[in-house]
Amino acid sequence: MLALGQDLGPLSEDALARFRRKHMGVVFQSFHLIPTMTALENVAMPLEFAGAGDAFERARADLDAVGLGHRTGHYPSEMSGGEQQRVALARAVVARPEILLADEPTGNLDAANGAAVMDLILALQAEHGATLILVTHDAELAARCSETIQLADGRIAGDVTRDAAE
Amino acid sequence: MSTTDRRPVALRIAQRDLRGGLASARIFILCLALGVASIAGVGSVRQAIEVGMNREASIILGGDAELRFTYRYADEDERRFMAEIATAVSETVDFRSMAVVGDTRALTQVRGVDELWPLYGEAGTEPFVPPVEAFDARAEEPGALMDPILAERLDIVPGDRFVLGTQSFVLRALLIDEPDAGGSGFALGPRTVVPLWGLETSGLLAPGTLFETNYRLALPPDADLAQLEQTAEGRFPDRGIRWRDTRSPAPGVEEFVDRIGAFLILVGLAGLAVGGVGISASVRSYLEAKIATIATLRTLGAETRVIFAAYFLQILAMTAFGIALGLALGAALPVVLAPLIEARLPVPIDLAIYPRPLAEAALYGILAALIFTLWPLARTGHVRAASLYRQGIGLSGLPHWGYLMVLVLLTGALVGAAAFLSGSAFLALWVAAGVGMALAVLAVAGLILRSFARRVAPSIRNQPALRAALAAIGAPGSDAVSVVLSLGLGLWILATMGQVDANLRAAIARDLPQVAPSYFFVDIQRDQMPNFLERMDNEPTISRIDHAPLLRGVLTQINGRPAAEIAGEHWVLQGDRGLTYSAELPRDVGLVAGAWWSPDYDGPPLLSFAAEEAEEMGIGLGDEITVNVLGRDITAEIAALTDIDFSNAGIGFIMTFSPNALIGAPHTHMATIYIEEAAEAAILNDIGDAMPNVTAIRVRDAIDQVSDALRSLAAATSLGAAVTLLTGFVVLIGAAAAGDRARVKEAAVLKTLGATKAKILTSFALRSGFLGAAAGIIAVLAGALAGWAVLTQVMESSYRFAPVSAILIVAGGALLSLIAGLGFALRPLAVRPAPILRNQD
Repeated sequence: MLALGQDLGPLSEDALARFRRKHMGVVFQSFHLIPTMTALENVAMPLEFAGAGDAFERARADLDAVGLGHRTGHYPSEMSGGEQQRVALARAVVARPEILLADEPTGNLDAANGAAVMDLILALQAEHGATLILVTHDAELAARCSETIQLADGRIAGDVTRDAAE
Repeated sequence: MSTTDRRPVALRIAQRDLRGGLASARIFILCLALGVASIAGVGSVRQAIEVGMNREASIILGGDAELRFTYRYADEDERRFMAEIATAVSETVDFRSMAVVGDTRALTQVRGVDELWPLYGEAGTEPFVPPVEAFDARAEEPGALMDPILAERLDIVPGDRFVLGTQSFVLRALLIDEPDAGGSGFALGPRTVVPLWGLETSGLLAPGTLFETNYRLALPPDADLAQLEQTAEGRFPDRGIRWRDTRSPAPGVEEFVDRIGAFLILVGLAGLAVGGVGISASVRSYLEAKIATIATLRTLGAETRVIFAAYFLQILAMTAFGIALGLALGAALPVVLAPLIEARLPVPIDLAIYPRPLAEAALYGILAALIFTLWPLARTGHVRAASLYRQGIGLSGLPHWGYLMVLVLLTGALVGAAAFLSGSAFLALWVAAGVGMALAVLAVAGLILRSFARRVAPSIRNQPALRAALAAIGAPGSDAVSVVLSLGLGLWILATMGQVDANLRAAIARDLPQVAPSYFFVDIQRDQMPNFLERMDNEPTISRIDHAPLLRGVLTQINGRPAAEIAGEHWVLQGDRGLTYSAELPRDVGLVAGAWWSPDYDGPPLLSFAAEEAEEMGIGLGDEITVNVLGRDITAEIAALTDIDFSNAGIGFIMTFSPNALIGAPHTHMATIYIEEAAEAAILNDIGDAMPNVTAIRVRDAIDQVSDALRSLAAATSLGAAVTLLTGFVVLIGAAAAGDRARVKEAAVLKTLGATKAKILTSFALRSGFLGAAAGIIAVLAGALAGWAVLTQVMESSYRFAPVSAILIVAGGALLSLIAGLGFALRPLAVRPAPILRNQD
């Protein structure tokens, strides 16, 4: 598998970790926030791995950007599903990755929260200029992306490219 | 949160992760704390004894230094030397005798003292009477102090009289605290202290009588003890004088405390090894609960070393907490239990908090924690980001070889530390090998048990609870190995103790009286022997009588060289030995090699030597042995090697000389008699009246005293085993807690299949009970084997399986496992199946 011109196949687990740290942000269906860390600490984590000295300032700014500036000291268990996914989103973009991978990001959310989170993902993607790879079963959501690749039984079943303005 | 947080990221992750609290590490902390506490406790007591003995060394010894002579007083030259080096010299004499009141006789260890006694410390008496007053030479009758046990045996109180030999003494007070008791050797009877002047007319200290004199010296403060010892040895070589000083006031006690201390610390280490099983399991389950976090960290860019470091730091924090708890317990317990410990020790003890034993325990704790956590920790590197999507991927597989090397090094360091710090490297290495082997045997036994259960379970019909229990024991991932491992070692030690103890008791209670004599008589003067033998011969209740001349001497040289150079520290060289002479090969003695001398032999002195001891010492026929008797060297050639049977507690000498070698030296005779119990009193009274200087020692009393000493050793070992067992129990609780979720699911499935709560409970109980009983049975089998080895190979006694102790061990194992298991069976019984099974889907 090639990503950003690099073959990921032969990379070790550590090399993959370094690749993700530099180039990728991931949003999961079930958030996967670290339960013993506050929202701020969760978001700062990728920057801390990268050795950024201003990790917490940048994390705070991105939490502000997702509308959670007032929840920085809260733990995941103290937040709603929508809030947790917004923290996860801030964490995914805080290091300004070139690729943003979102795996069913709205799967565990109700319709209203799901829509809000999706708006946010697309806004952040547009703002930071990252490539968003969205995995979803929701055709409506998929239609908001510039290209849709359909998978069936592990194979590509269709590929639709849209105009960015569409 | 500031940007200036420059701590390594692993430390930050560790700190945040620990916010979840240490509740899930309870078993880890408890296992570690128990192991560390027992080692710290034993080490603290050992140190307290050392400090106590050093502080009161002069009191225990009775002086700054002591010169000891075997059945003679110091001569003019020796007295002059002592006066030269000391500021004061106190003379005491120590021997066994019979204290008599009317028809009541009791064996006592007599100490005759001068007016300076005690040179240091104070004698505690009831009522309070200073020794100077009690032993006042102007009194009409000499006074005495007596151990309350002996006074009670003789039924006398202060003011009453009793007789030693031919002299009457007035009991002035009861001796509650004998200051120099710790420095005395093994005593068969309770103590009586009398003035030396009172013994002059007692007829008890005739030439050849078994007594020793002790000259206690008060030395100037700047005295160089080592130098003085050298001077004494240089000035009086080959006179059989033994020097002791405050550097080691009670070598016997010190050696005993050292050995038992080292042994108990090693038992503590065995406990730590059992705890290690729990530590390892606890860390594994802790890390398994963290797999999602680790995988998430992976997706955020964490490398293996950062993850390892983050969890290593957490384990270190838990280790620090466990060790701190263990040290606090280990330091506090001896201080809290001080009155109990002090009452059981014959020497002063300074119970306080000592850093050295605590540091030692902490070191063992750190090493054990690292050894048992490294394996699961190393496997955190196997957790991949993909684990977030696939359940079951996690802490499996063999760690990297580098970790395995570190594991081997750490284990080596632990064994090395134990060998170095316990002061008994040989014992430590044996215990380490033993524990390692025992754990391996138990692990294999656990696997066999699992495989057995798997095979048997399908053949059980119409008993679903039993079948479910056996199936659970036989299933992959069952508790079988961990239960057998955690309970097995403690039960094994207890089972071994049980087998050895039961066999020794049986030997003493049942077998020995059939072969052992009833009484020993010592100090029979040569001219009393004809009368003594005549009295015995005329007594129809006596089935057998043996007698022999008795001298005591120190084996000093072998073939003209110092004996220690040839035979090292063999026990035959330690202190003085009983010697005898005989014209003919004594009864019950077998000739192994060489030839016995002719009855009228009159050539150069010859001797026979016990064959087994000769072989151990590396000597044989033709070698020349020099013994020092009463300050005189006697050299004889080994002409015969003999087979001596010590097991019947009768007369047995390592060395028997040709008569011409010893007959000229002053000596007495000893005799053993085999007599019907009902006739004992009459004979004792007859002999006591006719020969008051003769001491009668009841063999049963002597054996009881030895078995008492053995019993306290067994009690100490059992205590160590109990701590190991307690640790094992904690490990079991940990295992049961870890299996809670699986049991909840199992109960839910069984309920949907129609099982009642009672059926499920029975199945859980059977499973726990079976596993505990199986651990007990394995421990009993191993204990029987170890017991057999100890009894037949080390003690050269016979072995018979002791069923009572075995049943108790098996029942104990079952009960412990049942308690741990059932404690966690109630929640699974209470939950409703629907939500559980729905969540599983």
